[in-house]
Amino acid sequence: MNDLTQLMVAMEPLSPDLTINEVAEILLSEENRRFLCIPVVDRGRPIGTVSRNQLESIFMTIYGRDLYGKNKVTQLMNASPLMVEVKLPMEQAAQYITANMQAPITEDFVITHDGVYHGMGSVIDLLSAMERRVAERNVELGKAYRSLKESQSQLVHSEKMASLGQMVAGVAHEINTPLGYVKNNVEMAHEIHKDMVGLVAGFKALLALFDAEDADERAVSLQLQQVEAMAAEFEENFPQEDVAGLYGDTLYGIEQISEMVLNLKNFSRLDQAAVSNVSVNECIDSALLIAKNVVKHKAEVVKAYGEIPNVSCSPSQINQVFLNLLTNAAQSIDDFGTITVKTWAEGGYVHASVQDNGKGIERQHLKKIFDPFFTTKPVGKGTGLGLSITFKILQQHKGKLRVGSEPGAGTRFVISLPLQQTQPVLKEAV
Amino acid sequence: MMSSATQLGASPQTHAVAGKSVVMFVDDEERILRSLKMMFRSDYAIKTATSGQAALEIVKHEKVHVVVSDQRMPSMQGVELLREVKNLSPNTMRLLLTGYSDLQAVIDSINEGEIFRYISKPWNTDDIRGTVAKAVEIAHSLDQIEIPAVQTEEESAERILVVDKDPDVAAMIKEIVEEEFEQLHAVEWASDLNSIFEILEKTEVAVILSEIHLAEHDITPLLKTLKRYNPHVITMVLTSFRDTGALVNLINQGQVHRFLPKPIRRGLVAKSLRDALVRYRNLKATPALIQRHQVEEAPASAGGEESPVSKRIVGFMKRLRRNFQ
Repeated sequence: MNDLTQLMVAMEPLSPDLTINEVAEILLSEENRRFLCIPVVDRGRPIGTVSRNQLESIFMTIYGRDLYGKNKVTQLMNASPLMVEVKLPMEQAAQYITANMQAPITEDFVITHDGVYHGMGSVIDLLSAMERRVAERNVELGKAYRSLKESQSQLVHSEKMASLGQMVAGVAHEINTPLGYVKNNVEMAHEIHKDMVGLVAGFKALLALFDAEDADERAVSLQLQQVEAMAAEFEENFPQEDVAGLYGDTLYGIEQISEMVLNLKNFSRLDQAAVSNVSVNECIDSALLIAKNVVKHKAEVVKAYGEIPNVSCSPSQINQVFLNLLTNAAQSIDDFGTITVKTWAEGGYVHASVQDNGKGIERQHLKKIFDPFFTTKPVGKGTGLGLSITFKILQQHKGKLRVGSEPGAGTRFVISLPLQQTQPVLKEAV
Repeated sequence: MMSSATQLGASPQTHAVAGKSVVMFVDDEERILRSLKMMFRSDYAIKTATSGQAALEIVKHEKVHVVVSDQRMPSMQGVELLREVKNLSPNTMRLLLTGYSDLQAVIDSINEGEIFRYISKPWNTDDIRGTVAKAVEIAHSLDQIEIPAVQTEEESAERILVVDKDPDVAAMIKEIVEEEFEQLHAVEWASDLNSIFEILEKTEVAVILSEIHLAEHDITPLLKTLKRYNPHVITMVLTSFRDTGALVNLINQGQVHRFLPKPIRRGLVAKSLRDALVRYRNLKATPALIQRHQVEEAPASAGGEESPVSKRIVGFMKRLRRNFQ
């Protein structure tokens, strides 16, 4: 259903032969009261409109009606009226009419169908229809805005979950390796213990035979042989130094596992205040430990930490920033490269740079890397939110994030955090 | 392990080192190697290597019955190593032992490493003992048989079964077979369990190219059961579904020959089908080779999980086996 047909009134048009007096009668009639003008149509084509305003100019003049009343309406009419095709969408029609109408509004508009007279539309009706439409659209826009906002926060959340998932998977692998041998060693220790119990039982039986006064010599020597053989097999299967090594390895593995658990705790900072005075060097170390699984097969990490004062920030978020930059750096390296991490203090800021010698960022991509959803990774590999979140975190810390990259040579990110936070960092920054 | 003094001497594990089977463990963490070595050394002659390169040197120079390798190692990954081992010594049984289920690694271990088992870290001692023992046993019996040269000449028309609810997939496979193969192999299409059964019952199928899901059913139990009862039929999975756990089970319990991703990649499908048909012919010619692909018994499903579908499958397979024997 076309928009304009809803507004249209199929008004009986005027024939060009009519006189001004006759037209005045028609315009005064009850059914035409809503319109400011009446169309004049010649053989189907609208050739003009006659408005109340034009008639007024005659009828309010003394003897106006007597002088001009018998003239043809074509002499009075506006020969270039407002005309719109019925097919035109309402927005376009309204645009055309508001651009061409005169103030005060003295005429309505003619609706044509392929140039043939179709009906009349009232400007007032058109404007109020437009107003209703704008109001509806506002409601829709409001809805769309809210759902966008919701899905944005969902996406940010899913990016956080994805990087968390990646991190957890990495740490799980790191933990599974020591867990593998620790578990195996403990189970072996259990078996060794069982064999030792058997050995002790053998020796006890031998001692009992020694103590017994009526012991059969053959039985004693048989038991002696058995015990000797058991001990020899035991020592062959579990040489003393190996067993000692087993316990050493096990303790080492447990130490490794507890260290990793501690790293996780330090990284998440769940047990600490959201905002505190922390050392950026420590944040980087914490992120490096978490990223170890991703980084260790891709790059050697060179640390050049400066003597820097603590900064007031949200450590869990700054850790997240470094984790993001470090994993990006590792992912940009094809075989094996170097990641250099530097920190220094200058001009009221603490700066930290993460530099890799990976494949670099193409010039045309460089402008877009902080845009949400921009990614060069294959579908499913990256959400394109990592750097945009990093950027947002630094924004909320009143900090800066800069990047320089040379395709084929590598990329360097520099973050700067102010020594003094002028206002408290939001608790839930992103 | 001895549990009492009286069992001493009766232990079969104390024969001379020279007669022991050779099992090699590869991991970049030496503590893993020490632990495994200690556990297995009374049963086998143990070799260890901390890198893929070192492991390959050993395989090049001496007989190794079983290789158990970690996946994530610097410079050479486990799958890469196992692929090389397969080429150097096809009778060496290959196992992957890893703590990190990287999907790509699992796919590669199917398609390139053609591994026997995938074991997760931390492992269960009884399971790993059983699995290694099985692998050693198979490696030994493989050594007993004469393996004829790979037969590629004797092409005959074989039957390929496509299991997918999408007729376009079947049509595309048919097209690939018609265009890429000189020999016209028959391509059958089944879109539900009944038609799978019907086709399997009336004729012998060489290769099954199957989706993982059919309508709402998970049909991996079918693929696993099929491999258990008809081990010479080559199964390949063609799916867009990606789940590391499901794939690991398809290796261990289904010995699936290839994992092919959707959307269909023509060249990959053609090459995989060609490999599968060669393997099918070899298995037919030398049935003893079938043990290479022996599957692990699926763990008894918990509670109500045993669906009527799987029961039907088992019943059907048993009947089918009788028909063909």
